[in-house]
Amino acid sequence: MPAVQETIEQVRKIDVDQYKYGFESFIEMDKAPKGLSEDIVRFISAKKGEPEWMLEWRLGAYRRWQTLEEPNWARVDYPKIDFQDIYFYAAPKSTPGPTSLDEVDPEILKVYEKLGIPLREQEILAGVQKQAAPVDELADEEAGDNVYKSGRVAVDAVFDSVSVVTTFKDELAKAGVIFCSISEAIREHPELVKKYLGSVVPTSDNYYATLNSAVFTDGSFVFVPKGVRCPMELSTYFRINEKNTGQFERTLIIAEEGAYVSYLEGCTAPQRDENQLHAAVVELVALDDAEIKYSTVQNWYPGDAQGKGGIYNFVTKRGDCRGDRSKISWTQVETGSAITWKYPSCILRGDDSRGEFYSIAVSNGYQQVDSGTKMIHLGKNTSSRIISKGIAAGFSQNTYRGQVSAHRKATNARNFTQCDSLLIGNQCGAHTVPYIEAKNSSAQFEHEATTSKISDDQKFYVMQRGIPEEEAIALIVNGFVKEVIQELPMEFAVEAQKLIGISLEGSVG
Amino acid sequence: MNMRAEIQRTPAEAALVDAFGERLSLLPGDGAIMVKRDDAIEQVKAGLPTRRVESWHYTDLRRLLANVPAFDASVKAKSVAPLIEGSTVLSLANGVSQAVSSIEGVTLQRLADKLTDGSYAAALVTYGTDDAIGAINTAFVADGYFVDIEAGVQLDKPVELQNLQAGGQSHVRLPVRVGAGAKATIVERQTGEGAGLVSSVSQLLVGDDAEVLWLIVQDQPETATHLAQFKAELGKNAKLTLFVMNAGGKLVRQEVIVKASGEGADFKLRGVNLLAGDSHVDVTMVLDHAVPHTSSTEVVRNVVTGRAKGVFQGRINVHQIAQKTDARMACNTLLLSDDGEFSTKPELEIFADDVACGHGATVTEIDHNHLFYLMARGIDEKSARGLLIRAFLAEVIEELEDESVVDPLEELLSNWFATHG
Repeated sequence: MPAVQETIEQVRKIDVDQYKYGFESFIEMDKAPKGLSEDIVRFISAKKGEPEWMLEWRLGAYRRWQTLEEPNWARVDYPKIDFQDIYFYAAPKSTPGPTSLDEVDPEILKVYEKLGIPLREQEILAGVQKQAAPVDELADEEAGDNVYKSGRVAVDAVFDSVSVVTTFKDELAKAGVIFCSISEAIREHPELVKKYLGSVVPTSDNYYATLNSAVFTDGSFVFVPKGVRCPMELSTYFRINEKNTGQFERTLIIAEEGAYVSYLEGCTAPQRDENQLHAAVVELVALDDAEIKYSTVQNWYPGDAQGKGGIYNFVTKRGDCRGDRSKISWTQVETGSAITWKYPSCILRGDDSRGEFYSIAVSNGYQQVDSGTKMIHLGKNTSSRIISKGIAAGFSQNTYRGQVSAHRKATNARNFTQCDSLLIGNQCGAHTVPYIEAKNSSAQFEHEATTSKISDDQKFYVMQRGIPEEEAIALIVNGFVKEVIQELPMEFAVEAQKLIGISLEGSVG
Repeated sequence: MNMRAEIQRTPAEAALVDAFGERLSLLPGDGAIMVKRDDAIEQVKAGLPTRRVESWHYTDLRRLLANVPAFDASVKAKSVAPLIEGSTVLSLANGVSQAVSSIEGVTLQRLADKLTDGSYAAALVTYGTDDAIGAINTAFVADGYFVDIEAGVQLDKPVELQNLQAGGQSHVRLPVRVGAGAKATIVERQTGEGAGLVSSVSQLLVGDDAEVLWLIVQDQPETATHLAQFKAELGKNAKLTLFVMNAGGKLVRQEVIVKASGEGADFKLRGVNLLAGDSHVDVTMVLDHAVPHTSSTEVVRNVVTGRAKGVFQGRINVHQIAQKTDARMACNTLLLSDDGEFSTKPELEIFADDVACGHGATVTEIDHNHLFYLMARGIDEKSARGLLIRAFLAEVIEELEDESVVDPLEELLSNWFATHG
């Protein structure tokens, strides 16, 4: 943003570009004027054709936001953000609300193609290694594990401020699953949105969540009705393309009684010298016996080798295990962003509910990561598990910050936390800041953390077998993070492993 | 927060500021010392820390500090026998030192004299805007003992620094310097009777190759407010073992601030915190590994009963040049009551890559299998529980090995269980 604007021209040439998604596409855009005001909030709401109640909700949040101060407790350091220098709305110019892929601007499809995200269904089938069965044959199969093995993934693609396309909608609808952009959900399913939006992350929650509530432009909406096991993986790809835009997406996932859904999220952005803001809010609601699995591979542009540019990733993610025996699991692989500031959390409200958090955070260059989770035990017999692996290289700072708390009535609350950090090079930092709070004597909390470097013995062992140093490190690191990678859906696991390799390139020597 | 200035002072804040005005003329020292005191009271005027201040996250001093009694010169503190038999006792009665006898190889001075002549001015420092204990103490400190152990001296008898209160306020400092190659055992005894407000700051310098065992034993009455700070700096190959036992007080904060600034330095912290009633006991440690090849281990064990609230915050900072640091920290808590509460924040801040650092924290009830094992052997539940809790704590105490030290500490433990168990 403005702090670095004057130097943009001088640093056009970047020689350390390992970021392979850094290309920029020239697509005709429809933008709101720069800056933030009530008028912009009204503009966004009008663009989206939203009902009056939604506009009021946004304005309420905006007024609240004006009274808030930017938080500064995280271990990150960045110049003050000028919110008047950001475009809060940018959408590709095309017919409003494409109904099929053919109506989508071919340039956008090309972008997703370059990113390797198959929007066209046949490509999805071609994209997986497994022998894929024809679609109609699959439809006959029982909903269950074997369907997953087909590797089909329904995708919602979000380009700057708007969702451009959602695939497999009809087939999902047959199962009763609603998967669409949040704008569409506000129009088509207002009763559900009204009931759940802001019920996990209230508009007054925190500075960036409140900002998001005022200006969110799109995101995904998932509703899995009672007893339904969502027949395929759902996925959203977020792409920031325009200059100076902020991306504010809002995702809401609801799993009714006994439902199951697995959702993946991926993010990329072009290489730019200025910083861009991404402030998302994700809300998950799991009712009795429901299970939500949320996986993220975050690969926003991290800035160049000198720490110029990159995305500010200030995200609020929270899951509410509202029902008894419900389960929410967060898995994240964080390799991108100049600054990451996010704490996917679980509120374990229902009795016997369970929360899980698996995280790999890799930082290199001048990246700053302050990430972790919160496990709030409210119900009886609730359990949670946290596995966090931080890898710091270059000049980066990598912080795990997590909270585990058991309230008075949380009898038999159980938590296990393990956070390990690996340091590569002596210019980086790894930090661990856990908050452990017990108010119930039957609670049982265990926390352990370690920090170390890759031992010379390990490296020697691998290199002695003819593997070059950089690959040896990647191999050891992959072993270090294996516990988390295992939690990812197969297609993502491969991608995540490669990403970690790419992120650590140039960290040796 | 710039809004703080507009917030009205709490009664405790107002009482402190007023007390400063009244005491000013009685406090020793002028010139440089007064400047330090003025700065410190300004810090208090700006407001006591709230939970928004990270280092006070679990001890909202602004809300919790209710008891600021007036200074009371008439009360007389009762003397107590030293913890370890045969110790040389230096006693402070309600914040006032006694005439000092001499020990061979040790220079002893009353701190009031060093404040009066201004020679202590340079050491009168707080370590940041969140150092509320340092600020309160700097503003009001009137006395204490200065102990200087010469290089190479091996003290055969422990030195016991007693800080005895009997209500009212007392603010003391205990600066101790242990010369190169010297060896000493020092007991810091914090006790008394009455609902006093005590602030106490110990400053220890451990010279190269010196070895110190420092025991802090705090058993204030359950109405007292006890704000204490222990600061130490370790030279080359210096060894410091700090043992902290908290077994009393209503509002207690014990800060431990240690810097390993000589290669080969080794620091050990062993803590036993016994919490009962509606006390609030906070032990906060900040440990800096500032040079290569230093090591530390910290083991803190807590037992929480009644409606007590316990806090342990431990931060290990490993500086960028401090390669080969070996640091381990563990905090284990038995939370025995559903009305009790324990919060812990073990932090690692690491800037060097070739280190081995770890921390572990557990909060739990007594293991039912262990209980079953004992009860199956005919031991009733109450005794079985008692045995297990004692064993959990004794493990830390017994590490001190020296019987003359271990025995009196175990006796204190027994006394506590006799009244609270």
